[in-house]
Amino acid sequence: MIRQANAIDFWRGFALISIFINHVPGIYYERLTHRNVSISDSAELFVFLAGWSLGLLVSRRKGELTAPGLVARLGGRAMTIYAAQILISSIALAILAGAAYAFDNPLILEWHNAAAAFQDPALAHIGLVLLTHQLGYFDILPLYVVLMLAAPLIALIDKFAKPALVPISLLLYFCALVVPFTAPTWPVAGQWFFNPFTWQTIFVLGFVLSRDEGIGAVVRRNMRLIRIVALPIVLVTAILVWFNWFPDPTRLPEPKLLFLNGKSFLTPIRLIQFLALVVVFSGSYAYFAPWVPWLADFFSSLGRNSLNVFCVASLLSLCGQIARYLYTGSLLTDTIILIGGIGLLRLTAGVSEWRDRRTTDA
Amino acid sequence: MPLIAGALACALFGALAGALCQGAWAQDTSGKPETSPEPPPAVAKDCGEANVTVTPLPNSALALQKRQQVKILAIGASSAAMLGMGHDGNPPLLEEILERNIKGLDVEIINRSYSGELAEAAGERLKIEVALNHPDLVLWQVGTNDAFAQVPVENFEQSVTNTVRWLKDHNVDVILVGLHYIKQLTKDEHYQAIRASLQRITAAESVLRITRYEAMEVLARTMRESGRPEPRDFGLTEAGYNCMAQYVARAIAVGLFAKPPKPHAQPSPTR
Repeated sequence: MIRQANAIDFWRGFALISIFINHVPGIYYERLTHRNVSISDSAELFVFLAGWSLGLLVSRRKGELTAPGLVARLGGRAMTIYAAQILISSIALAILAGAAYAFDNPLILEWHNAAAAFQDPALAHIGLVLLTHQLGYFDILPLYVVLMLAAPLIALIDKFAKPALVPISLLLYFCALVVPFTAPTWPVAGQWFFNPFTWQTIFVLGFVLSRDEGIGAVVRRNMRLIRIVALPIVLVTAILVWFNWFPDPTRLPEPKLLFLNGKSFLTPIRLIQFLALVVVFSGSYAYFAPWVPWLADFFSSLGRNSLNVFCVASLLSLCGQIARYLYTGSLLTDTIILIGGIGLLRLTAGVSEWRDRRTTDA
Repeated sequence: MPLIAGALACALFGALAGALCQGAWAQDTSGKPETSPEPPPAVAKDCGEANVTVTPLPNSALALQKRQQVKILAIGASSAAMLGMGHDGNPPLLEEILERNIKGLDVEIINRSYSGELAEAAGERLKIEVALNHPDLVLWQVGTNDAFAQVPVENFEQSVTNTVRWLKDHNVDVILVGLHYIKQLTKDEHYQAIRASLQRITAAESVLRITRYEAMEVLARTMRESGRPEPRDFGLTEAGYNCMAQYVARAIAVGLFAKPPKPHAQPSPTR
C-alpha cells in the first residue's frame, strides 16, 4: 500500500530536487534554489528528515521492536545505503571514464576527485569501499551510512536514557567544533566534506523533534512563541546571504568554528538558521497542499522513494555537468537538463512504487 | 527549552556582531629569510621546460626565517595535480622535494581540495580555511571546473581577483596553478578564454602562476618534433602529476629566496 502524500515526503522530495539542481554547478536554475536566501541548504533538510523518519519508525514500533531487533533493522538499512553508495560511485567512475573516451578529453578523468581511482586504483578502491575516498558530490551518502550505523545506539539511548540523548549529541558536536576534529579521507589526505561528528546533531534533532514526547512535545506546545523567535532569524540571515554580509572569518574570535559559516562542520549559525527555517515553514504544507495537490503528490512520490531517487539524481547531476560542458551551458541546455532530470526522477519513483506493489501483490 | 534555544541563538548572533567590530590582525612581512639561498630543486628533463618566473613569496620567506616552517594550504579541483601522487601514506611529493632541497625546512601541507568546486565557492571556503589553518602560502588550482561549467569569464575573473586580493591583504602568499594542456582543448574557446583570464589576473595582481599549460604544450611539441608519440592523456599520469609537483616545488623555492621588488622611488616633494 503506497502511503498518501504527506508533509515529510513532500519536503524530502523538495530537498531531492534542490540537491539535483545544486549538484550541477553553473546551471541557470541553481539561482532559484533556497540556498540563495538561506545559510543552510537542502543537505541539512535531507539529513534532518532522515532523523525525523527514524524517530517516526521508533515511535510506531515502540512496543514491537526489541533492542536486537532494532539493531538488526537499522543495521540492515545502513547496509542498503552503503550498497547504494558503492553502486553509484562505481557508475559515476564509469560515466567519467566513458565521457573521457567518448569526447576524447582525458581531463574528465580528473573530475570529482576521480583521479586517484584511475591513477592509483589499488588504494583508491580500498578507500571507496571504506568510504574514506569519496567522489565530489557523492559525499552525502557516506554520512548517511555512518548516521544509520549510529542509529541503533541513538534509538537505544532514547529507549533507556532519553534525557541524555540531546546533551550527548551536543557535547560531541561542540567538542568537534572546539578541538576541532573530523573524519579523514584516504588515500588522498584530506577531510570528509560532511563532518559526521557535527552533522549527527541535526540527525538527532530530527529524531527527537519528530516525537510527541520530550523535546518534540515541548516544541509543539510552544510553537507560536518559537515562531516569533525564528522568523527574524530567517529574515535577517536571508539578507546576510543575499548581500553576502558575513564577517571576515580571520577576525572572528576563537574557537572560530563556533562563529563561522561553514558547511563541512555544520557550524552553529547554520544549525540555528536551519532550525529557524524548519519552524517557520512547519505546518505550511497543510495550507498549500490543497491548492496544489499535483505538486504535493509529485514531490511526495519522490520523497517516498528517497534513496532510489537520490541515487539517480546524483548520477543525473553528473550527466548534467557533462552535458553542460558539451553543449556550452545555454539556457536551453539548462532547461532540458532540468525538465529531463526531474522527469527521470519521477520515473524512478514510479518504477520503484510499481515494483513495491508487485512485490506486495506477490 | 524554546527560551534556551532563543537565548543560545541571541548569544551567537551577538558574538557575531561583536566580531564584526574587531580590528583585523596583521603580520609583519618586513623580514627576509636568513637561511642561505640554495639552488632551487631541478625539474626532471622528462617534465619539459619549467617556465617559472621569479615572484617573491614574502610571507612564506618570513615563516621560513622565523619558524623554519612553511604551512601550505592546497585547494582546488585536483590535489594530485599540485602536490604529486603520494603513495602508501607517504607525504606528497611536493613536501618531500622541498624538505630535501631546503636545509632545515619543515613543510606542512594542508590538503583541502574538494573536487567540482567553482572558483567563487572555493574562494569563500578558502577564506574559512585560512582563518582555521593560518597558512603562509596557498596553492590554488583553479579554472578547469569553471571552464567546464561554462562560467562567464568576467564572473570567473572577478571571483579569482577578489580572492587573490583578500589573501594578499591577509599576508598570505598565493600561487595559482593554471589549466591543463590537452591538445583537444586548444580550440575550445571557453577553455582558452578562462586560461587567458587567469594570465591577466596573475599579471595584474603580481602573483605567481604555474604555467602548467605552456610547459606541457612545449613538451608535447618537443616530443612531436623528436618523432616520439605525443601521449593522448598527457600529464594525466602519475609521471605528469609528479612533474607538476616539481614545477610547484621549484616555483616555491625560487620565490622563498627571491628579492622583493624595489619600491618605486618617491618623487621629491615640490613646493
